[in-house]
Amino acid sequence: MSNTQQVDEVPLTQRIRENPRPLAVWLAMGAVLIALEFGAVFGFAADLLSVVISLIPGNPLPGVVSFLESLGSSIPTLLSRETIPNQGYFNGSGYENTFLGLEPMLAWLVRVVLVYLYAFLFLGWVWNGYVRFRRHYRYADWTPRDDVVDRLRSHQWGQFGLIVVFLFVILAVFAPALGPTTVEANILNPYSHTVQFWNADAGAVQEVTVGQANLQSGSQGSGTQNVGPWTYDDFGRFHPFGTTTNGKDMFTFLATGARISLSIAISTMVISGFIALALAMVTAYYKGLADLLVVVSSDSIQALPQLMLLILLMVVFNQTWLSEFYDGALLMVMIFVFGYWPFLWRAIRGPALQIAEEEWIDAAKSFGQRPWVIMKKHMAPYVLGYLLIYTSMSLGGIIIAVAGLSYLGLGINPPTPEWGRIISDGQPYVATQSWHISLIPGILITLIVTGFNAMGDGIRDAIDPKSAKGEGDGNTEAVAGGSGA
Amino acid sequence: MSKQTAMESEATATTGETLVEVRNLKKYYEGGGMFGGDPVKAVDGVSFDIQKGETLGLVGESGCGKTTLGRTLVQLEDATDGEIHFDGRDITSISGEELKAWRQDTQMVFQDPESSLNDRMTVGEIVREPLDVHDWKTPQERRARVRELLETVGLREEHYYRYPHQFSGGQRQRIGIARALALEPDFIVLDEPVSALDVSVQAKVLNLLEDLQNEFGLTYLFIAHDLAVVRHICDRVAVMYLGNIMELGPADDLFDSPSNPYTHALLSAIPEPDPTSKRDRITLRGTPPSPRDPPEGCPFSTRCPVKIKPEEYRDLDDELWTRIEVLREVIRERSRAERSLSDRARELLGMETRYSSIEEIREEVFGDVAVPSRVETHIDEVADYVRAGKEAEARRYLFEEFGSECDYERPELYDVDGVQSVSLCHRHQSEHEEPATVYERQLSASGSK
Ligand code: SF4
Repeated sequence: MSNTQQVDEVPLTQRIRENPRPLAVWLAMGAVLIALEFGAVFGFAADLLSVVISLIPGNPLPGVVSFLESLGSSIPTLLSRETIPNQGYFNGSGYENTFLGLEPMLAWLVRVVLVYLYAFLFLGWVWNGYVRFRRHYRYADWTPRDDVVDRLRSHQWGQFGLIVVFLFVILAVFAPALGPTTVEANILNPYSHTVQFWNADAGAVQEVTVGQANLQSGSQGSGTQNVGPWTYDDFGRFHPFGTTTNGKDMFTFLATGARISLSIAISTMVISGFIALALAMVTAYYKGLADLLVVVSSDSIQALPQLMLLILLMVVFNQTWLSEFYDGALLMVMIFVFGYWPFLWRAIRGPALQIAEEEWIDAAKSFGQRPWVIMKKHMAPYVLGYLLIYTSMSLGGIIIAVAGLSYLGLGINPPTPEWGRIISDGQPYVATQSWHISLIPGILITLIVTGFNAMGDGIRDAIDPKSAKGEGDGNTEAVAGGSGA
Repeated sequence: MSKQTAMESEATATTGETLVEVRNLKKYYEGGGMFGGDPVKAVDGVSFDIQKGETLGLVGESGCGKTTLGRTLVQLEDATDGEIHFDGRDITSISGEELKAWRQDTQMVFQDPESSLNDRMTVGEIVREPLDVHDWKTPQERRARVRELLETVGLREEHYYRYPHQFSGGQRQRIGIARALALEPDFIVLDEPVSALDVSVQAKVLNLLEDLQNEFGLTYLFIAHDLAVVRHICDRVAVMYLGNIMELGPADDLFDSPSNPYTHALLSAIPEPDPTSKRDRITLRGTPPSPRDPPEGCPFSTRCPVKIKPEEYRDLDDELWTRIEVLREVIRERSRAERSLSDRARELLGMETRYSSIEEIREEVFGDVAVPSRVETHIDEVADYVRAGKEAEARRYLFEEFGSECDYERPELYDVDGVQSVSLCHRHQSEHEEPATVYERQLSASGSK
């Protein structure tokens, strides 16, 4: 649909009615994708609901939550461990209870590959939706955002970041399906679950509790006491990343830990980003006293040594009711938000002030536009890009900080998996065979932080081409740098 | 020459009702920082009328307060003092819904087309926004109106879904004009609407503005520093200097026979297309004083080449008189300059500072002219003050000794004989010579040298 000779604007719904095919095809593709994973989607919604309900004091509806959860798990999904099981055992001649009778390693690999395939298909579907909208339904044949998208498409470093972040997000989102075993069975309640294994000495399949099996598969550095990456333990269980000091599966542990780190980091950034944006709009628009007040309060927060502040607040609130929500994650988010909004606000204050000087703001004032509409429509879109850069660059910092606090024994309450704790646990064995315990999470953290930074770089160059060409004046300075815990 | 407090009796080219009446309008900006300081007197008490349907030009060097005045008229700035009557109503005192309703009647076209349009909105959205804000009719009618406006300003209706990026400067300015027209205002402030455009495009945009004025009966306040453009488009012109209107009159009168000394100087800076014209170039010394610290008397008194001399020095040579003014300027600058701590320390230690000593200044200023002893004694006195680091006293002393009514009495706007202009200058009083006469004498004197 070209945009020449429009007589009058047709609402989007009507444009779709006139040419429904592209949308219908897209929706059909989406329906297939969602149908494959309907159980998981439903389960996620139920999980979300249970979190919300648990925040209500008194926990009023325990029945409903457990009912929903059981309903969610009863719906078959393609990428679940039930459809493609890997936890089988050798019975002397072949594997039982594994996917197509494959050995556990291959069964697990099939599942992982399928999960990522699915995730990339999903990503492709979303992108396809954008392209279809752009080609078939949008009026303007060009918008400034197209340039941003196009620039991002040719930014390899940014794409690298995007892919790393995407892989990480998928690891977190699909953690239950990706682990060779489950958190519940392997980490939280090992003594209520059992595993069957082939005892070569006895020449028979035997059954043992997971807890007991774990005890004999820990990685403690010495010769027999080590289950390294990509090996089986004595009980026929496959460990892609090896085991922890007390025999738990590292991969399961890390995948779940990723979930926690990422949700803390993202909620912190969303909340503090929102606070920073709102304050930046108000301070840039009204300046004067409003600005001064925020400068003073943000400076006083920033003047405190951040790490000290974090540790102090964690210790002070550790034993209170606040630390009980979500294994202490809620408390961490609150503390991080408190420490991070001044940084974000400072970072976008310059661009916000610059935008507030533009003549189109005056123009809007001169015909009587309301202040908050001016902030929302004429200022925020310009600052949002900068905010995105800084938040993506700071996300890595928060992930490090979460790990750092757990490393110090603060933060997320054990036994909930958390990366920092496993690094600390593995530290005595760094120089032994069990090096993997500290090293793998260490490398992953580095990779993710780099990924987030690269993504931030990409976004920066995409929204602000001047900085890439090196001809930017004030802007370049305003967006340069900016990460850290 | 009759002395009058002007405005009311003033005759203008356009007969008709007054649309905007500005009375003693002031706009001060409080001094920066927490320590107050002197306010910046951007607009320092101006009064004028704008007739329905006319174009009033507002000219002056950058920083003279003309943009601030324009912004105050559309209430982008709150007036510090004074009144603006719009169709008889004082709009400096209204607020809230009443102010919003009034805003439909006045609009502004901004100087920089790059900055006046929000790049993330389509042209249609930009032009439509004022209509949305004021809930103008139905959304369909608004879209139709936007298309019509785009055609009116010389764009095409399919530009509705384009973004400002896709347009040239001239076209962007047309979009800005369409936006200003959307609510059918009576009065539009044009803040240097063509100064950012290519010369080839300027004429087209100016013609468009004139056409629109004829078609919709618009009243313009045209702010500009390009005098040629002003003469072309304006019915009457006001000349601003340091927050004051120095002269106001019909464009032809003002350009052909300027009355105010400042207007003379300003006009002499335009290249003269007519080589037979005997208008000579008047160069002004120095820079305009800071609007934080404007002169007590006439705003132009620190630079005026035809400033009135006090009685006892009337016979002094013009050259010497200029030197005395230069000395005053130097002392004034020095008394205002913030001295850094290190400067002070150097001074105390008797070391050289970046300030030249008073002896050097004297040599430079009076070195090649004969100074009669009755002037010499006063300069000695001043030198003593400066040596003692009392610049403010030195300044005061010079003011008292060499100051005339130009320095201590603010002139009013006087009617000028022969033309319909009013001009802010003591020289229009009958006991003094007219500025034009003095200029002529000076120029012929310098020519014969
Ligand atoms: S009042 Fe005096 S200083 Fe001012 S313009 Fe007239 S002659 Fe010059």
